[in-house]
Amino acid sequence: MTTPSSQQVLEVLGRIKDPDLGRDVVSLGMIKDLDVSPQGKVSFTFELTTPACPVRDRFKSQAEDAVGELPGVTAVEVRMTANVRPAFLRPKPSEILPGVKQTIAVASGKGGVGKSTVAVNLAAALRKSGASVGLLDADIYGPSIPAMTGSHVVPQQVNGHLLPIEAHGMKLMSFGHINPGDQPTIYRGPMVGKAIEAMMVQVDWGVLDYLVIDLPPGTGDASLTLAQAVPLTGVAIVCTPQDVATDIAVKALQMFRKLNVTPLGLIENMSWYVCPDCGHRHEIFSHGGAEAAAKRLGVPFLGAIPLEEGIRQDADTGTPVVISRPESAGAKAFVAIASQVAARTSIQSFRQLPVINVH
Amino acid sequence: MEVTWEDGARSTYSGEQLRWACPCAECRGEAGIPGRLARVKTLNDAEVRIRDVTLVGQYALQIAFESGHATGIYTFSLLRHLV
Repeated sequence: MTTPSSQQVLEVLGRIKDPDLGRDVVSLGMIKDLDVSPQGKVSFTFELTTPACPVRDRFKSQAEDAVGELPGVTAVEVRMTANVRPAFLRPKPSEILPGVKQTIAVASGKGGVGKSTVAVNLAAALRKSGASVGLLDADIYGPSIPAMTGSHVVPQQVNGHLLPIEAHGMKLMSFGHINPGDQPTIYRGPMVGKAIEAMMVQVDWGVLDYLVIDLPPGTGDASLTLAQAVPLTGVAIVCTPQDVATDIAVKALQMFRKLNVTPLGLIENMSWYVCPDCGHRHEIFSHGGAEAAAKRLGVPFLGAIPLEEGIRQDADTGTPVVISRPESAGAKAFVAIASQVAARTSIQSFRQLPVINVH
Repeated sequence: MEVTWEDGARSTYSGEQLRWACPCAECRGEAGIPGRLARVKTLNDAEVRIRDVTLVGQYALQIAFESGHATGIYTFSLLRHLV
């Protein structure tokens, strides 16, 4: 029996569509190192745009099935890998985050909805999927990242650059590292902007697939500085289900829209609580508010996270719940949301910013 | 300066046109006080020659002119509507 040609293999693989990017995986350049042995063994590399790809397993079985059905094929070997693509082609090399491929901001508008908890677990979930991840705490007044990651360390300085703190396999930088202890940072607005810029320019972030940026509440200085200083891939907005939280989240989202930063979607935190004694599901802050708001605004709903004692405990003891209790409902919710966020950022890397030429 | 937009459309701008459209507070005026562009009738060569263009986040361009004037942040929507 004759073996199929590479062309035939690519033809059947070309029927697999990426649901997020809306194109087939061959024209997206995801199939690499294709080899057909004389014995009929087909092997190739399937390169995803993110290791946290939500359809990773489906792609693998679809590819195996499609190629396996070709006459003459005796075995199929699919090597799944991932290569995160840079979000945008920048008009010229920039000194701001030169090695960072994707920058994801986590914002809420309103305080106390769990932004930092979401940011830490989102970063940890992306890291667990195999990506290289950094986490920048842009909350100058109320930095929570050092406590939530158990990294009360002062950063080292090398050649005028600060080295990020390493914890849980991630690179971290927070004003809580730079100014530790219980002394407050008493800054006016412009100083906040300078501090955030310094954490991007003066910190040696190196090469990262994702830099997650935990923003402070509000629609002022910090968010504005960030949106002006870096081409953000997008922003994920966190809110709790009740109206007072979703109303402010909507304002935050509209602010980023004005700055042409793509909203990756809404995340509902503290969505429900399962009583450990009676097993009853309580919806303390109501339920579905974020999903309804997302629908109204025409942005994706990225998922809901339960209110769990474990999430709070692990944040206080310095290990993100996705690492310490991966089997918990909370951890699973974070992992699913991270996949959604990664998929949304991948879409952005196929977008083009306006090209500017000066003669 | 030439801009090729996301949808493939192209816009071309002269330095002079951009300089007169500068949206900064000094040029436009603020709080009811007219800006410089409302007062002057002509601009010299160095004032209208573009020296540098920088991307601001992903929503605007900062255009620096030879005269040193660089405070205008031209949003993409402003540029798109300028032609």
